[in-house]
Amino acid sequence: MKKRKLHQVFRLLLVFFCMNVVWYIAYLLMNHPILPSPLVVYQAMGELGGRDLALNVGYSLMRIFAGVLLALLIGLMIGLLMGRSATWNKLLDPVVYLTYPVPKIALLPVVMLFFGLGETSKILMIMLILLFQIIISVRDGVKSIPDNTYDVLTSLGAGSAQKFWNVTLPGALSVILSTIRISLGTAISVLFFTEIYGTDHGMGFFIMDAWLRLDYPEMYAGIMLFSLVGFVLFLLVDLLDYKFMKWRN
Amino acid sequence: MKDLEVEYKSGQLALGRMNFTLPEHGIYTVIGPSGSGKSTLLRAIAGLLPAYQGELLFNGKSLRDKATLVGLVPQNYGLLPWKTVQANIRMAMKIAHRSTESKAKQEEGITRWLTAMGIPELAERYPLSLSGGQQQRVAIARAFAILPTILLLDEPFSALDAITREALQQLFLDSWLANPATALFVTHDVEEAILLGQKIIIMPSSKQDSPVFVDNETLFGMQHGEKRDSDEFFEQMKRIRKVMQEKW
Repeated sequence: MKKRKLHQVFRLLLVFFCMNVVWYIAYLLMNHPILPSPLVVYQAMGELGGRDLALNVGYSLMRIFAGVLLALLIGLMIGLLMGRSATWNKLLDPVVYLTYPVPKIALLPVVMLFFGLGETSKILMIMLILLFQIIISVRDGVKSIPDNTYDVLTSLGAGSAQKFWNVTLPGALSVILSTIRISLGTAISVLFFTEIYGTDHGMGFFIMDAWLRLDYPEMYAGIMLFSLVGFVLFLLVDLLDYKFMKWRN
Repeated sequence: MKDLEVEYKSGQLALGRMNFTLPEHGIYTVIGPSGSGKSTLLRAIAGLLPAYQGELLFNGKSLRDKATLVGLVPQNYGLLPWKTVQANIRMAMKIAHRSTESKAKQEEGITRWLTAMGIPELAERYPLSLSGGQQQRVAIARAFAILPTILLLDEPFSALDAITREALQQLFLDSWLANPATALFVTHDVEEAILLGQKIIIMPSSKQDSPVFVDNETLFGMQHGEKRDSDEFFEQMKRIRKVMQEKW
């Protein structure tokens, strides 16, 4: 088990190293300041101030967490309602159906108009991106729990809260986690968009700022760091999956 | 002597008008052809049917009263796959007894029942990693652990192989003797009905007929191992087959 884990980490490192080699070859071929060598980029990364870096990464993470949390709260509530009650499903299904295909990123100017350029509009954008996917997956996840799963609890006289915590939530959790994993990528891209206006902090700001100053090594360093943040978030979801989905094996 | 009074009347086709009373503390096996409503009867008593006509009474009080605890053992074992064996039992105890029982007492109960079922080593395992027989042992342990007043078993052993089934029948009888609740045991196996029941309820295939009650006290008093070879067993078998030929 442990050996396999180590193997996996080793493979990941190898792939990472190969990608850097490809990058280095491209740098040699291009020989132009818009593509610096990986070594220069890593050096620039090392020179970034720790406090400044923590502030930028912290702001980005805070926005993502707030957006995901909000989307989860609202999405869970609506999804559960739709999954458990046929009436609500009939009522809300057309609403979700009609709004789902609207490209949420196109709503960015609207959200900015309504909520200004501050934190609210950034967090709301991330929430909007995730919300509909979570609603749909929670609803389908809840619906896919067989009715007889509730039988023993019902016969014991369990209340709806007990049924929710013991059956509905854990039953739908695996779908919720995979949805978060898929939508996290989108959320990070949207985060970048929202961080290029109205803020002095965040990874998006950092990258665009370096770009405007023509400091390409620092710009690439920012992109690398941004990717690292995304990678860590994926690992976090994997960790949650491992912790709560043990029963599947 | 208190009496269990079950009156079930339904205008629906799912189950014809039934009206019967059973004494408390006993095992009553229910057999019948498919579609005769034996599972419907059980689901109604378990409170899983939202609407039925008539009344279900236990000691003169409604079955839906909070004081009557129903332990259910469904055919598919009804274990929650995302909870370990002990968490499944713990959850049932918590729901059944609210918080009247202390934690230590609960844990002790879990261990005692898992030991009684011969599976104390499976406490930390998840249901999906267990065999059908093991899962059913857990389900029975859970049903007994809440100390139910009524025990409902819906073809609990029908998916198991013959040897596992016999072992579990024995385990079930032993556990029941230690905690004699009022048990209703639905089965499609005539032999099983005779081996376990104190009374055998034969459901007719026609919804208009009323069920036939066959007394099984003599066999019920015997040692479980001796039942199968006794003359009474064959007599009872013949008697029930005759009823089946008439009613099915």
